[in-house]
Amino acid sequence: MGPLIPMGIIPDQWNSVMAVLIGVAFGFVLESSGFSSSRKIVGLFYGYDFTVLRVFFTAAVTTAVGLAYFSYVGWIDMSLAYIHPTYLTAAIVGGLIMGLGFITGGFCPGTSLCAVAIGKIDGIIFTIGLMLGIFIFSEGYPVWEGLYNGNYLGSVKVTESLGISDNLFIFLFAVMALAAFYVTSLIGRRIKEVNY
Amino acid sequence: MDTNHKDRSKVYFNPYFGGVLLGMVLLATFYITGRGLGASGAAKSTVVAVVDRFAPEHAENSGYYSQFLSDDNHPLNTWLVFEVIGVLAGAFLSGAISGRLKLKTEHNPKITNKRRLLFAGIGGVLFGFGAQVARGCTSGAALSGAAVLSLGGFLTMLAIFGSAYAFAWFFRKLWI
Amino acid sequence: MSRTYILLTIVAILGAAVLVFLPEKKNQKELDPEKLLMEINNSSRYLSTDLVAHRLIEKDPSILLVDVRPAAQYGEYALPGAINIPLEQVLLIDNEGYLNRNDLEIVLYSNGDLWADQAWILCARRGYKNLYVLKGGLNHWFESIMQPKSPSPGSPSQDFDMYSFRLAASQYFGGGANIETNTENSTENVIIKRREKKSVTAGGC
Repeated sequence: MGPLIPMGIIPDQWNSVMAVLIGVAFGFVLESSGFSSSRKIVGLFYGYDFTVLRVFFTAAVTTAVGLAYFSYVGWIDMSLAYIHPTYLTAAIVGGLIMGLGFITGGFCPGTSLCAVAIGKIDGIIFTIGLMLGIFIFSEGYPVWEGLYNGNYLGSVKVTESLGISDNLFIFLFAVMALAAFYVTSLIGRRIKEVNY
Repeated sequence: MDTNHKDRSKVYFNPYFGGVLLGMVLLATFYITGRGLGASGAAKSTVVAVVDRFAPEHAENSGYYSQFLSDDNHPLNTWLVFEVIGVLAGAFLSGAISGRLKLKTEHNPKITNKRRLLFAGIGGVLFGFGAQVARGCTSGAALSGAAVLSLGGFLTMLAIFGSAYAFAWFFRKLWI
Repeated sequence: MSRTYILLTIVAILGAAVLVFLPEKKNQKELDPEKLLMEINNSSRYLSTDLVAHRLIEKDPSILLVDVRPAAQYGEYALPGAINIPLEQVLLIDNEGYLNRNDLEIVLYSNGDLWADQAWILCARRGYKNLYVLKGGLNHWFESIMQPKSPSPGSPSQDFDMYSFRLAASQYFGGGANIETNTENSTENVIIKRREKKSVTAGGC
């Protein structure tokens, strides 16, 4: 059955149309969840608003569980799905830099686009900065090429490196997410409210 | 928040509801296209297109741009660019429905507008740079990667949130 | 914590927990027996020796001959361009790149029909597409192409047409029907790039 486009069930020409439709849904949900507000997003790191954590992990768990069922029933052939490749050094170093950008800028690329769409000037500046960052990276590519390509492990799954079954890992992931939701709901009550 | 006067612009989805919806969008994306969502990739395509427009030779010779250039395809003709056009439209729609469309700079009242914009720019540069290093941002690498249990996706996710927490103390004046 | 959240938590945990206890799914990719039986009874997998000879002469690039006999026999004689995957190695992962292709028609052959048919069933069960069997195998190949018998006088004219094609083919493949034979049969192997996994959408974010 799926994925529909790689399997040729939906012809390739529809790919762009699908992209726009999926984007509309993505943007709508992000904005409606409050991701167009940098102060709401950053609340996670100061403990006054856990929206990002809740939305993000609920989404990740929903998709992981959904894909596991889809794959079990045979609706989707996961060998055709794009598995984000693992470049060990780059994944960690890039993540650390992005974290720093997150706390200073208050957005990530997807949320900054939502902010742009509703007229946030900080979102527009962030997006311009984003492109500038990409430009700097591209211009200096030879300098960090080694870092970029270092420790390539292929499209490894986290379960392969831990040596447990996919489904068990998804279950543990779901339990951890729920535990995090519970703990943050306790913290949320104690912390001084920030009005924004 | 004050419940006495209801400000429509502050009413967001319940986060868990939003999360399940987002998860379903991502699930549908995988089911239909076999790939995840993304955002920074479109910014990269834009940069590549601009450089290719003004300095095509430079783009051809660069080890990085040239990976995203092909003769029969304009650099902007990629899946993520179309998706991002949709994101802008979807977010605009949501903002319009909830009355959040307004040109403004959102910032902590304790800091100036300028300061907020300066740091937004710095954050953008860092995020753009980091997203290229890690081959994806929070949506492409962390969320979509984690959903298909990619090791790289999980590591990037942990690194983003871990480093944001680690640096949070230094930038607290910006936010609280 | 409100009751709704408790309820939702229970639903979420149950949903994820069921995953862990799902029975292992075996042989997910194999065809179910009834479908396989239908395909086995369908004789459209057979290609005649004439058709294959014709396509070989035309140097049709969309055809790949696979010799499923043991390597020793392959070494003695094989059809031009054929590669050797002995029957017992048909299921090896390394050979999937040759046998499971969308871009080529794979023609399996052995001395008779039997081994080629067995290989065909094994591959069909795996869900491989575009698989064919050379009808009659090499034995029939020799009877019909390499040493064609002239039709008895009074046969329909198509038989003579076929005979003249076979004579020409025989000459092309170096068979015994012609006096000037090149006894050396070129048995060079086609070098084929191992098929990459079906194109997966590239680029994450």
